[in-house]
Amino acid sequence: MAPYDLVGYFGLTGSYLIYIAIGFAFGFILESSGFGDARRLAAQFYFSDLRVVKVMFTAIVVAMTLIFWSTALGLLDYNQIWVKPTYLWPGIVGGLVMGVGFILGGYCPGTSLVSVATLKIDGMFFLLGHIAGVLVFGETVDSINEFWNSGHLGFFTLPELLHLGTGVVVFLVACLAIAMFLGFEWLRGAIYGKTQ
Amino acid sequence: MNGSTEKTQYWNPYVGGILLGILLFFSFFLAGHGLGASGGVNRIAVAVEDLVVPEHVDKTPYIAKMAGGDRDPLAHWLVWEVAGILLGGFASGLLRGRVRLQTYRGPQISTRARWAYAFAGGILMGYGARLARGCTSGQALSGGAVMSVGSWTFMLAVFAGGYGLAWFVRRLWQPEA
Amino acid sequence: MNRIFKPQVLGAVILLSASGALALYGQPDLEQKWQFMAPEFEPRLLERQVQIDPAELLSLMNDDYISLIIYDVRSERDWNEFHLVDSERIALEALPTQRERLRALPENGVVVVVSNDEMLATEAWKRLMVLARPNAYILEGGLNHWLNIYGLPADEAGGGRAASLARADGTLRHSFKLALGDRHAAAHPDERHAPQREYTPRVKLLKKIAKAGGCD
Repeated sequence: MAPYDLVGYFGLTGSYLIYIAIGFAFGFILESSGFGDARRLAAQFYFSDLRVVKVMFTAIVVAMTLIFWSTALGLLDYNQIWVKPTYLWPGIVGGLVMGVGFILGGYCPGTSLVSVATLKIDGMFFLLGHIAGVLVFGETVDSINEFWNSGHLGFFTLPELLHLGTGVVVFLVACLAIAMFLGFEWLRGAIYGKTQ
Repeated sequence: MNGSTEKTQYWNPYVGGILLGILLFFSFFLAGHGLGASGGVNRIAVAVEDLVVPEHVDKTPYIAKMAGGDRDPLAHWLVWEVAGILLGGFASGLLRGRVRLQTYRGPQISTRARWAYAFAGGILMGYGARLARGCTSGQALSGGAVMSVGSWTFMLAVFAGGYGLAWFVRRLWQPEA
Repeated sequence: MNRIFKPQVLGAVILLSASGALALYGQPDLEQKWQFMAPEFEPRLLERQVQIDPAELLSLMNDDYISLIIYDVRSERDWNEFHLVDSERIALEALPTQRERLRALPENGVVVVVSNDEMLATEAWKRLMVLARPNAYILEGGLNHWLNIYGLPADEAGGGRAASLARADGTLRHSFKLALGDRHAAAHPDERHAPQREYTPRVKLLKKIAKAGGCD
């Protein structure tokens, strides 16, 4: 059953090659979808270009459906998948900070890499800033240690929160995503009066 | 919004989303975890720091976990995935003639101002991504796909932060009204 | 007609159908999950690769390098009569609470499950494997066997007779004058005075792969 012990099967170098390949596909898809362009990314927040939500939420819903069909059929072992432990408060504050960073800088870490790869200078400045921010964090995190570990809910998933079955939640998320796409499209039409 | 001044043929976002979703699924299927980006940048930064001030690295617990003693911060899949992202982005850009030394910016601000804002945004992103234990690739996409509550609240917070500030900084991106 | 077959609409329909079908199909329960895993894990049970001799457990208990977790899945009554030092009582149904702990188990972590015979422990072992695939083993012969070897001091037991292992019915077939729990001598026998046994060591330490998949 998946997931597999990549290092065991392919050796360390082999596993690194696989990760490079995964990253390659990731970067390729992002760039091809226009995510190397800060203007389009920022445009999300003005409703004039909706690719961010469309790509993100389509990806999430597609992946979710594939993942949980695989677990349902016994092809994938859910208990062996890494589910990020929930640390509620640092997650929310960190998210807000990142939202501000997003609208100021026009990128997020992954897309800034794509931008740098196509030689965009603003992407390079962003990446430098990213490194600086990371170093600042490394220095200061120990002084906010209590906050850093607050709201630790461990492996906590939406089905557990809502007391609903996994498949039901997947379906609801799919509905939510579609509703969101329609809603955003409507908003865009209302604000700018044009259709894509 | 000058998003369509250039005649750039980007993929339909839904298509991109489907492909990304399949890739995300494969990542979970093969490796048991999702995608990531900021963690890789983090580790590379730490690796450089380890070269320059190794004693300091050993003494700071958060960094020591990654690079203290003879731990190699680069011996982690995230680093290799980041390398791949750079290669993949480059390849895609090269294929379509989008590899060009230039600065993307909103029409109302100067290039230098854009650089400053990019840098500032980057700092916030770098800090915030560590604080949230992930970025939009790691937390939002991957955590979201496995329905982690923390990831979804994180996503909401990111959008709240972005949309909340958007109107106030519209000069950065919008054309002259 | 054209409107209905726009790719976006088609995509949405496919998505909703796939996820809706998933909602109806459901996710596998414990039984089903074990069935999926059985081809790989059942042989370990049948070939007795994961049942360890009491002497091996004793050496684990005394090994400073090993981070040992002993799960005792018996009833509270049996637990009060006798249980091993540093073991933890946990009901089968409560095992899922251990998931995070087991996934964070270090390289030198070893889990041993004990019950009176092997039946309950084997069921617990299966559940642990489904839950987190830890480096886990079963005490061979259960505590009945353990006490046959390390127990039966004349003044503790009611009869001084070794328990029959052939009649494995899951009950604790040693009796104690007082329910001392882990304060019996047999709860942590002194290796120097305990009977020496030959056994095939089965515990292997697993090399830990960096499983942390986050942007950490």
